[in-house]
Amino acid sequence: MNSFLAKRLGQTVLSVWGVITIVFVILQLSGDPTLLMVPEGATQEEIDILRRQLGFDRPMIVQYGDYLWKLARLDMGVSLVQNIPVIDIIAPRVGYTLYLAFAALLVAFGIGLPVGIYIGVFRHSALARALTAVVLVGQSMPTFWSGILLIMVFAVSWEILPSSGAEDPSSIILPAITLGALSMATVARITRTAIIEELGKEYVRASKARGLSFAAVIRRHVMRNASIPLITIAALELSNLLAGAVIVETVFAWPGLGLLAIQSIEARDFPVVQVLVLLGSVVYIGLNLLADILYSVVDPRIKLQGGRP
Amino acid sequence: MSGASLLPRRRAPLLRQVLRACEARRMWPLYLIFVTFTLLALFAPWIAPYPPAEQDLFARLKPPGTAGSEGIYWLGTDELGRDLLSRIIHGARVSMMVASLSVVVSLVTGTAIGLAAGYFRGPLEVVLMRLVDIILSIPAILLAIIAVAVLGPGLQNLVIVLGFTRWPRYARVAYGQTLGIANTPYVAAARFIGLPWWRILLRHVLPNIIAPLIVVATLEFGLMIIWEAGLSFLGLGVQPPLPSWGAILSTGRNYMGSAWWIATLTGACLFLLVLSVNMIGDFLRDRFDPHSIRR
Amino acid sequence: MLRKLWLTLHALVLAVGGLGVGAALASSDVLVIDLVNEPATLDPHKQWNPDSYYVYRNIYDNLVTRNTAGEIMPQIATSWKVIDDTTVEFKIRTDVKFHDGTPLTAEDVVFSIKRITDPEFKSPQLGQFNSIVDAVATAPDTVVVKTGKPYPPLLAQLVKLSIVSKAYTERVGDEELNLKPMGSGPYKFVEWQKGVKVVLEANNEYWRGKPPFARAEFRAVKDAATRIADLRTGKADLVVALNSDNAAEIEGSSKLKVLSAPTERVAYLMMNTQFGPLTDVKLRRAVAYGLDRQLIIDALLGGYARKIDVLLTPAHFGYVEGVKTYPYDPEKARALVAEAGYPDGVSVELVTAPVFDQRIVQAIQQQLSKVGITVEISMSDMSTFLKRRRADPEGFGDMVFGRWSCACQDADGVLYAMFHSGSVWSKYANPELDKHLEAARSAMDPQVRLKHYRLAHEIIADQVPSIPLYQAAAIYGARKELQWTPTANESLFLMDMSWQE
Repeated sequence: MNSFLAKRLGQTVLSVWGVITIVFVILQLSGDPTLLMVPEGATQEEIDILRRQLGFDRPMIVQYGDYLWKLARLDMGVSLVQNIPVIDIIAPRVGYTLYLAFAALLVAFGIGLPVGIYIGVFRHSALARALTAVVLVGQSMPTFWSGILLIMVFAVSWEILPSSGAEDPSSIILPAITLGALSMATVARITRTAIIEELGKEYVRASKARGLSFAAVIRRHVMRNASIPLITIAALELSNLLAGAVIVETVFAWPGLGLLAIQSIEARDFPVVQVLVLLGSVVYIGLNLLADILYSVVDPRIKLQGGRP
Repeated sequence: MSGASLLPRRRAPLLRQVLRACEARRMWPLYLIFVTFTLLALFAPWIAPYPPAEQDLFARLKPPGTAGSEGIYWLGTDELGRDLLSRIIHGARVSMMVASLSVVVSLVTGTAIGLAAGYFRGPLEVVLMRLVDIILSIPAILLAIIAVAVLGPGLQNLVIVLGFTRWPRYARVAYGQTLGIANTPYVAAARFIGLPWWRILLRHVLPNIIAPLIVVATLEFGLMIIWEAGLSFLGLGVQPPLPSWGAILSTGRNYMGSAWWIATLTGACLFLLVLSVNMIGDFLRDRFDPHSIRR
Repeated sequence: MLRKLWLTLHALVLAVGGLGVGAALASSDVLVIDLVNEPATLDPHKQWNPDSYYVYRNIYDNLVTRNTAGEIMPQIATSWKVIDDTTVEFKIRTDVKFHDGTPLTAEDVVFSIKRITDPEFKSPQLGQFNSIVDAVATAPDTVVVKTGKPYPPLLAQLVKLSIVSKAYTERVGDEELNLKPMGSGPYKFVEWQKGVKVVLEANNEYWRGKPPFARAEFRAVKDAATRIADLRTGKADLVVALNSDNAAEIEGSSKLKVLSAPTERVAYLMMNTQFGPLTDVKLRRAVAYGLDRQLIIDALLGGYARKIDVLLTPAHFGYVEGVKTYPYDPEKARALVAEAGYPDGVSVELVTAPVFDQRIVQAIQQQLSKVGITVEISMSDMSTFLKRRRADPEGFGDMVFGRWSCACQDADGVLYAMFHSGSVWSKYANPELDKHLEAARSAMDPQVRLKHYRLAHEIIADQVPSIPLYQAAAIYGARKELQWTPTANESLFLMDMSWQE
């Protein structure tokens, strides 16, 4: 187990380094933010002065080395746009995005799970097919569209929920639904598959023969066994949701990292973008690692070399 | 699989699988929807009543059914007086073109890389799979946004960006499947005989792994349509006046109060297409790859 | 179990939040404003960014300001005297106090000037103030400002200079000043929830009078559709950056109204006269004849924008009328295109960014296609757009659609940068024009300056390196009860707003 962990850790570090480098190169190619920071009509001289002050006139290799060196000392740099340490910009917003992601996960499971169970048990009924279509709705519409629809209906027309921002406690509802809809179908599908598999197993028939009601069988045994892949899926979907949060946050003016990412990319605020991508990658890799560990714990048959079912 | 059979459990030839998939009665409405949109997309220039870029600044934001200079605006006009029906038809063409091209790019690239890694093993495998992990771990949408910022928007670059951010998905599947096949005695025997690697890969390995890849491709197709819309929303999509559903939808959003038909009708089309593609993909997955947990 | 905990937590938060919301609603003396982005910084000498100065203009006072008619008025400075071509003496108010109670003196003015002109400070606004070489406080209420060369736009630029407290800045440092600004303006800084909102509260000892609202909150809502939804649900009382179609959505409402004012932003179509097909003046004139500017204004801009024939607005010093203009004449345009050697038409590249009104870009494309000029649109995000904008002629593309504002309301800030051969933003070189621009820049007598600008405008109108499209209007949405006249310099001065009784 230890060598497995060590190996994975090594792979993780390598992956993270690869991410940092790729993003750094791409950002450098996209041009520096000096032009965005000067007033219109600034002379070439003024632009050059600013570039020099910000260090953008150094060769790319030097900037890269400098960046890695700072990162090694956990110095995330200073935002070019806001002139304060990147940490201070990101820290207050992390909570919002996490809150949104978890709330969305809750929505996805809250609807996906019961639907998945129903579809798994009553596989061929018409209702099952209808429900399948319903949960797929979330994956069939761009979030910026479903978001504004929800706002129009619930905030503007019916006036029961806030239209934007995160000030009221109830402002989480619409964004969470919009975002959670993305994962509903996946959750339902996994649940259904797991249930179908379980239902085919011997012990189900045995339990029924013993006189246990169908519902009790579901509750007591099937759910417990089916919950394992679900936990893994939760880990993976979380990283999907974090990515989907970008657009949802823009539509709802939800002050999380997604919105920050878009604004920082537009403004070419390199330090912020680099840290955000780094964060996203680390979370993704970490969640994957978690999922793999859970898998291997559950099913020792799976080789821990990266083999996947 | 009993030891007596040296051949890998070959799935039925692709054609037969396709035919069997077609037989499923309940899928027919979905197939119909998909085929309809495909036909619209293919024959757009001949079907659309107006040129999609033809503006008439005096006929802005007219509701569906208004009479126009060359016939009725069946679905109304947009903010520059262009016929919405024509734009939706051409938009189908553009959106589906972006989606299918990028799927093809990523399918081919990803499959090739996955095949190589799974067949040749060794250091190649390590490097390639590491690359797959790295790209997969960059938040996809951020990668797309940054890449478009670098390359500039436009149809071509969009396809490139989408194609090259998604190939790892296919590579992973191809890799896993290849691992399973490549180690069978059958393939070992073929290698031993001296068949060239490309022959083995193309004739023996590829046909057996293609089914799950098709499943991924189908689901990715729907996703790419949605992503194109998302990138258009962020201002990074195809260039005007080229209509794509994403572009029409994201500008139409701002007119929900005064000209709801622009966004609603386009959104409905997009929704229908993607929903049917998703359901078809779901169905295919059930048939060919029921145990896949990763998308 | 976890679920129960979560639900209880939610219920508690809801209860407390409900009380809070109730309390807030009771005092409707809070003005909530939706901006597009949150301020980049609240340090008035650092950023060049409308979202930032929407907010900090209310925390700080400036040396001078403009009234709604656009004339320069005293603010911190009560009067000024021109000593000689390069020296101006300002007398400043003695009754102004900073929010911490300390008085505002000439030392603070000098400190502010020196701070923004200090190259070490790296202010992006340096270029607008670096004509100032020295500032001295000769008395507690007197400041003498020296410029290196005669600089007529000095006062116009000083409209943008905010006065910070020397003692406070030196005590807390630049970073703190950014996070906790303190000025002498009508509103005090309360807090800045990053990404959420900036909260200000009234400075009841403000020297100009009592501020109209007890509190003001600035939120950042990127999406225009959401801003409108906020207005309709009452979440926001005032929203900025609407276009004419958004405005149409509000116009019908009984609770809301549209406020707008022409600004000093000039929308222009600048052409590359140094590379590509548009080096030919005939083709440029063809473009001018081929554009139906009035139609664009009426149909697309809802009549909010104004037609202009020079690259300035009436709000600028240096604006003239009666210069040669090109009416919409597609026949003539087509003839000129053929004359220029393109009987079958010509293709040009138009560079733009998403922030500019794309309906206009597409309308231009459409109109020009009718006269034989095929326009290919190259849209890139702002950063890449700016890069191309100041690139060499080969990388510039053929046409650029943009909107220019120098925030100075002086012709120098627009014309010099756009047309002087030495400017990186200019793709035009005409020594005759250069002469006039330089002369106007250094003459202190407004009449002399005006003469040179008229001649400059005539050259520009004749050679058409750039076509003035329209004077942009800023459109805001507000609750019907809000009384406010927006100004040309797009500032949200809370002191000028009030609730209707």
